[in-house]
Amino acid sequence: MRRYLRLHRIFIAQYLKRLMEYKVDFLLGAIGLLITQAFQILFIGIIFSQIPTLIGYTFSQILFIYGFSLIAKSLDHLFTDNLWMVGYRIVRKGEFDKYLTRPINTLYHVIAENFCVDAFGEMLTCILLLSYSIPQLDMPFHWYTIPLALVVVVFATLIYASLKIMTSAIAFWTKASGHITHMLYMANDFAKYPVSIYNKAVQVIITYVIPFAFTAYFPASYFMTGENPLFCIGGTVVAGTVMFAIALFVWNRGLKAYESAGS
Amino acid sequence: MENMIYAENLRKEFKKIIKEPGLKGSVKALFKPKKEIITAVDDISFTVPKGEILGFIGPNGAGKSTVIKMLTGILMPTSGMCRINGQIPQKDRKNYVREIGVVFGQRTQLWWDLALRETYAVLKEIYQVPDEQYRKRMAFLNEVLELDDFITSPVRTLSLGQRMRADIAASLLHSPKVLFLDEPTIGLDVVVKENIRNAIRKINEEEGTTVILTTHDLADIEFLCERIVMIDKGKKVFDGSLSGLKHNFGDVRTLEFELVNAPDFKLLDYQRRFRLTEDEISAERDGVMAKVRFDTAKVSVEDVVSYTLQTVHVKDLNIKDVEIEEIIKRLYRREVSL
Repeated sequence: MRRYLRLHRIFIAQYLKRLMEYKVDFLLGAIGLLITQAFQILFIGIIFSQIPTLIGYTFSQILFIYGFSLIAKSLDHLFTDNLWMVGYRIVRKGEFDKYLTRPINTLYHVIAENFCVDAFGEMLTCILLLSYSIPQLDMPFHWYTIPLALVVVVFATLIYASLKIMTSAIAFWTKASGHITHMLYMANDFAKYPVSIYNKAVQVIITYVIPFAFTAYFPASYFMTGENPLFCIGGTVVAGTVMFAIALFVWNRGLKAYESAGS
Repeated sequence: MENMIYAENLRKEFKKIIKEPGLKGSVKALFKPKKEIITAVDDISFTVPKGEILGFIGPNGAGKSTVIKMLTGILMPTSGMCRINGQIPQKDRKNYVREIGVVFGQRTQLWWDLALRETYAVLKEIYQVPDEQYRKRMAFLNEVLELDDFITSPVRTLSLGQRMRADIAASLLHSPKVLFLDEPTIGLDVVVKENIRNAIRKINEEEGTTVILTTHDLADIEFLCERIVMIDKGKKVFDGSLSGLKHNFGDVRTLEFELVNAPDFKLLDYQRRFRLTEDEISAERDGVMAKVRFDTAKVSVEDVVSYTLQTVHVKDLNIKDVEIEEIIKRLYRREVSL
């Protein structure tokens, strides 16, 4: 474990050096990112200026859920973005060989090798939304609220990462699976709003099948009301754990099916 | 001597979906896939004693890389087993790969965007090489592979020869007991090839590293390997020394003569002059060049050259390397004639 933490530090350092190697690209990327995020916030503002309440939810509550959904999403985006490449390129081109010849866990290696600073844009939006909405909500606050929030963030991030791990691993059999990952990942858009606004089928899917509702709506509603901790928090922990267990299983089976590519 | 590498009845099958040509064929394959099993490696067994350099040869698509990938733990064998350094690669991969080095000549494991030395710094951590040992190792690799000139350059700016040397150094950083080199000299010029051959030999001699090397260049084999295993269509067709291979399949050379008068070519009748069959000596014209292929077991280079010089005016002369493909072609002809 300590070795992996040390390695992670080194991978991050290498990533930053790489970033500096292409300064112009980095600068343009950062500018683009700020513009994208500014528009996103503007967009949210325009929408909610038209709809002051949404089936019983106030503007601030909606913003809180939206902001909360971005915590796990941005963390996942920052740390595990390289998983996309597994499904799009790494397996198909046989580049996965490299990971299999190194004495560290393959999944860890793939994930640690790259970071995505684009995620800081989402984090910025997230911080703005939360710092705007939290003071306006009269949320119950206890000594355990913050530790609980941290636990939720860890498991919610695990839900995102696990979905990407298991769908990328499909590439070990099919050679490419980027589009499957993309399709399922997009379901996270549903997580930004209260689950109750959707019809029953969508509710069931984002709660029990692709449990994105546990990355935002359920834990967020617990923090707003203090109700239903077992389902809202416990559900996030269970969903994260189960998803991760399935993801590891699929990944490890996938390694055995990996066929490399001709050279 | 104890065996470092031990492969028993290795077999690898791939499922392949047969598609008819064109978009229509692709769509059809999507709904009604016709599957075919392709045997890339068919019951291959061999052993490599500790400290030996084994040449692994065969034509393109023979299954060389597939065998290497099974030995390095990248692929699961369909059946059969291999044991290297007392370990089964597929069983405890992380532990196993600590003691092996792998180079795929067609790919790089270097960090593309960073200065070369950064790659070594990361690999040092991945393989947990202690500081002191790392310093000594880098000094040694520097000396053997001459990395100093480009160690601070970003990998993307390296020439192919530099990149290959850098990749070999990367595979050796953690002092592996076994080194797998898949076409380490592909596409390189003669000087770099020489440099790499010397490096491989030096590492083998000084550290007793067991090496498996695939190549299409017989000069690599001649310089480095006491023993070769030849495979074709997934099957082992030869296992023994290089001289044994030449003895069995003939040492075929090609001489190229540039003629002053191209029409003089018809004056050359090697088969009649040396009383040999077409299989043993043959000539063909290509513009002003006369290309003569012959078996050195039947007629010497000297005799062929002197006969040619006596018969026609020659402007230039070129002796080609023995090609493994040529030996394999002959192998086939033998099978047919047997």
